Amino acid sequence: MVGIAIAQLRHERLRTALAILGVAMAVLSIVMLTSVGIGVVETGQQKFDQSGRDLWVTGGPLELRPGTVGGFENTLIDSHTVAAEIAQRDDVATAVPMAFQTVYVGKNTTEFETLIGAGAPAQGPSVSISEGRGFQTRDRHYAEGTYDGPMSHEVVIDQRTARLLNVSVNDTLYIGGTLATASRNEFTVVGISPTYSRFVGAPTVTLHLSELQEVTGTTASDRGTFISIRLQDGANATAVQSDLQQAYPAYTVRTNQEQLRATLEDKVVVIASGASLVLLAVVAGILLTMNLQLSFVYQRRQTFAALQALGLSQTSLSALLLLKTLLIGGVGGALGVGLAIPGTMAVNEIVVAVTGFENVVSLSQRILIGGFVIALCVSVVSAAAASLYLTRASTLETLQS
Amino acid sequence: MSQRTQTPSTSASATPVVQGRGLTRDYTRGSSGFFSSSQAPTVRALDSVSMAIERGEVVGIAGPSGSGKSTLLHLLAGLDVPTAGTLELDGTDIEPLSGRQRARLRLETVGIVFQRFHLLDALSARANVALPLVERGVGKRTRRERAESLLEAVGLEERVTHKPGQLSGGEQQRVAIARALVTDPSLVVADEPTGELDSESGERVLDLLVDVADEQGVVLASHDQQALDVCDRVISLRDGQVARRQ
Repeated sequence: MVGIAIAQLRHERLRTALAILGVAMAVLSIVMLTSVGIGVVETGQQKFDQSGRDLWVTGGPLELRPGTVGGFENTLIDSHTVAAEIAQRDDVATAVPMAFQTVYVGKNTTEFETLIGAGAPAQGPSVSISEGRGFQTRDRHYAEGTYDGPMSHEVVIDQRTARLLNVSVNDTLYIGGTLATASRNEFTVVGISPTYSRFVGAPTVTLHLSELQEVTGTTASDRGTFISIRLQDGANATAVQSDLQQAYPAYTVRTNQEQLRATLEDKVVVIASGASLVLLAVVAGILLTMNLQLSFVYQRRQTFAALQALGLSQTSLSALLLLKTLLIGGVGGALGVGLAIPGTMAVNEIVVAVTGFENVVSLSQRILIGGFVIALCVSVVSAAAASLYLTRASTLETLQS
Repeated sequence: MSQRTQTPSTSASATPVVQGRGLTRDYTRGSSGFFSSSQAPTVRALDSVSMAIERGEVVGIAGPSGSGKSTLLHLLAGLDVPTAGTLELDGTDIEPLSGRQRARLRLETVGIVFQRFHLLDALSARANVALPLVERGVGKRTRRERAESLLEAVGLEERVTHKPGQLSGGEQQRVAIARALVTDPSLVVADEPTGELDSESGERVLDLLVDVADEQGVVLASHDQQALDVCDRVISLRDGQVARRQ
């Protein structure tokens, strides 16, 4: 039977090749999309873990405001005050407000790029500096909410921003929420750091929060994106989370895991699209092999009827069809899995180059085996459909047609 | 063309390879309507036909289109069961058998030659001939030897590895005859075996079928007088009934 199945497949080389390619593409899509999904979760988890923070306070999702400076609005109001109140607790080591906002950045006052501005402390053990130094002073400009303290005019940028603007440590950058503000606010590049760029996956300039608020005109409401909290050793994260949630019911307090989940939930459309693509890939694989099988059976329906008339059993003919599709599924699955390995490496290279995120596509042995098993399942479904067609066809009527 | 000099076998059992008594076959035309209480009309394709075929005998079935030739042939081959009457194939009554059991019985006792050959185009002549032996669980070497010896017997020893597409119509029909004989059946049923062939190829195929009948019973349905001429006797059908026996 194996010999007959192979002979049939070799006889229809083009169809066989197309079916194998179809299954391979389906498996490749499934493996890659699943790997991306898992990779994003793993990378996100890693980033949250690396941040050295235990809890995150947010005011809600960032809202798009095309008419406002920065293009979107951070929803955590009075971020410095709330962070200071939280930091008073005995079980909290630090509570740091942060904000992300789009800003204009230029090396002169005539040409500007739109980049992400991070209002965050570019200093301390959780920030890695690859060149120059981090911030040496605390955020003094806030000055108890008066915003009249001295501005440091220091900025830490990431490697891609440095390449994009062709600047290095000690060079000057002009930064602001509008072109007019940007041309008036001069900052000195004091260091190169990948930390916040990796966090958002885009070229980033990092300023003290109050200085970012100053140049983007958000000092009135002291808006931030979130407050990150590091607990004292031995503190119970769940208990602190519960206390804070009661104290600040307008805000949401999450653990690292919950914050990651919330971030992913915000991307529900993207996740649904990915899941739909996986489903479509499986359906396309099934339809391709099923089409091959059904057209094979339909074209040879009289021959199959003749073989049944000669005494060949339905079981034997079904076994022949199953062997054929298993060969297609096996070869297609192996090809898809084989292509997924270099494919993953290539996509990871591209993602690192574009966003700075590493290992976004996380390929595992389990995913590869899963892809191969799906290819075999697709084969079985196709063979079952073709066998059903054969079973329902009357031998006599087919012979007489 | 061979002339029949053989007489029906009087060997051991003398049981006919196939025996039908009062064979009747009705078909339902269409189906009764969903809102209609009337029964769907039935058509009687075969009406109380009795016949027996013994080993060594070549029996022709003649008649115009719609006379019941194919219906009788399908019953004799065990492809269908009669509405009334009994049919014994190699001594086995087929009426109580399930579809699977009838398929098994056909595999063991009947070889069928079709008008359109029905060979698998991806397989060589040898593989096509050996196919029924796969179902019988015969080993690869034995299958190969048996198929090659039959292809030699039908004059295709030079064509064993050729695929159907590389063979002429006459050669394909000879492969189909070898396939019908590969399980050493008691009965060979041929439906218009020369219908798709030129007269020279048809003659050669008929010679082969006549030669086969030394061991088996052969029944062939045909419009072709040349084919009917090689038969020991011919049963002519008209409107599902035997019109004449020659």
